Amino acid sequence: MVADVVRAAAGPRIHVRGAVKSFSGRVVVNVEDLVLGDRPIEGLIGPNGAGKTTLMRMIMHSTSLDRGRVSLLPPGGGEVVLSSLPAHRMARHGVVKSNQVIMDFDKLTIWDSLLLAVAESRYEQPQRILSERTVFARHEAEIRRHLDFFGFGDPSAFAMSAGEKKLLDIVRCLLLKPTFLLLDEPTAGLPDDLTEKVMTVVRELAATGTTVVIVEHDLNVIWNLCDEVHFMAEGSVILRGDPQSIREHRTVVEKYLGEGHV
Amino acid sequence: MTLDWLDAFLITGLFEVVMVIGLALLLHLQLGLARIANFGVVGFWGIGMYVFGVLYVQVDWPFGEPWQFLACAAAATVVAGLAGLLVGWLVADLDTDGVLVGTLGFATAVQILATTQDDLTGGARGMGGLGFPYDIGRVKDNEFLWLVLVTAVVGAILLYVWRVHRSPYGRLLIAVGSNEPLARSLGKPTFRTKLWLFAVASAAMGFLGAMYGVMVRFLDVGNLGVGVTLAAMVGLVLGGTARVWGAVVGVVLTVGLFDIVIQSYLPLPREWYTQAIPVLREAAFGLTLMVVLLFRPLGLLGDMRRDRLMGKIHGR
Ligand SMILES: Nc1ncnc2c1ncn2[C@@H]1O[C@H](COP(=O)(O)OP(=O)(O)O)[C@@H](O)[C@H]1O
Ligand SMILES: [Mg+2]
Repeated sequence: MVADVVRAAAGPRIHVRGAVKSFSGRVVVNVEDLVLGDRPIEGLIGPNGAGKTTLMRMIMHSTSLDRGRVSLLPPGGGEVVLSSLPAHRMARHGVVKSNQVIMDFDKLTIWDSLLLAVAESRYEQPQRILSERTVFARHEAEIRRHLDFFGFGDPSAFAMSAGEKKLLDIVRCLLLKPTFLLLDEPTAGLPDDLTEKVMTVVRELAATGTTVVIVEHDLNVIWNLCDEVHFMAEGSVILRGDPQSIREHRTVVEKYLGEGHV
Repeated sequence: MTLDWLDAFLITGLFEVVMVIGLALLLHLQLGLARIANFGVVGFWGIGMYVFGVLYVQVDWPFGEPWQFLACAAAATVVAGLAGLLVGWLVADLDTDGVLVGTLGFATAVQILATTQDDLTGGARGMGGLGFPYDIGRVKDNEFLWLVLVTAVVGAILLYVWRVHRSPYGRLLIAVGSNEPLARSLGKPTFRTKLWLFAVASAAMGFLGAMYGVMVRFLDVGNLGVGVTLAAMVGLVLGGTARVWGAVVGVVLTVGLFDIVIQSYLPLPREWYTQAIPVLREAAFGLTLMVVLLFRPLGLLGDMRRDRLMGKIHGR
């Protein structure tokens, strides 16, 4: 059911219906009816193994669904059935996800990675072998702004540390100009100052109409940032509400916070 | 033109080296950048050669040279490209083993077709009647000019590959090769990318096949064995799959050393040439491949250095 809370400058929402995924016979995600993005920044929390990452991957169609349907509801109306699109079409619809587990191109430098993310597909054709300068000129300023903001070193080098790769993953997402951004534990392993910067970026995005959904184990980030929190356990979202009410909810305290996650 | 220093052996040897460099460069785009191990190189090359030969010999063309050559070579290129599209479509989503079996199977199918369709291709008897699209005098002069032309074509391929490394397209190929799901999540149509890579590389391989047909002037299904693929693969792996110059260095050291130095300049008994040498060659190439993969898997030139390249073209 589409919830009644609608934000002022509404961003896109994602509607998940009857989505089921199992691995070797074990049901890992079973989401009856879930709308993400009624509020600009939403959190998705829950114990390890609850299925948060899998659900996000199902939305991106990088994991196939056993059953069910995922749709994008753009603010202007209409519906895009994401679950019937191939994974590479998500970005074109503005749906973008960062990865919990570090994902990188081992042969590509930081410049490469970021230029790859921004390059329009018309420049990536086999006959367009002279278009590097054009692509670089079009996007250099934007890329440098991100590099400076996060304090990357030499962009012609490879991303070395885990933290750098994690940030690179996030910057790639930002360069895709998402309208619906999913962040899977974006600040895990980052020092406090960079966590702070990621949070700043998320707020800026939300202010300009992008919907952001964050999975995060650092609950301070969740309580600070989110307008709405979904609590997921054993494959289903069993509770939703504003941060304050989720924080104090008995089930959450017992199932999750009680385990020492505070 | 006095070409006394060039004997017929040397011209054929050089032609072989240059052509295999061309094939290895195209294979480099697939294997070195996109990490698709195409073991069917000879199939695309052979399709080009035979489509060219059959059209050239069997069709009564209303126009003379060089148009007849150009028309037949264009058709051969297109057909090889379409074959690439088809094979690419079949193997693009398979894992390495699947690609190996699929492309090898394709090459075998080409050889079988060329052998069994003998009313068109001459089958095992072979097919003559091809010739140079010009006549500038002695056979040797004609062959030498053809060597110059194929060198120009391969030079163009080298230039193309060199540019690919410095283009968004090359970056996309490398991304597809090193982390396909991640490339997909950035909106890159990885399947289509591989498909077109196959089409373009195969078309060029087909064109080289047509040029080879002209040079030998006699098509022999024996050429469609694994030899050509092996030569391109070994050369590329020895030189370094990930480097532009890997194909050049590696093929010169393998095919060059074997087909030119050993065959032309070593005093080997005559009777070896038909029997022992081809076998020795494949054994030596196979051995080289194993040794390189064991002791220097990245080849003589080593790994791609995008950091140096990016530093050079875009700075810090
Ligand atoms: N590719 C996979 N194959 C098998 N099991 C998987 C796979 N991906 C996730 N799982 C399992 O699904 C469950 C949910 O995982 P995940 O979605 O990563 O949870 P969360 O992100 O909430 O910690 C876990 O028990 C995990 O082991
Ligand atoms: Mg997770």
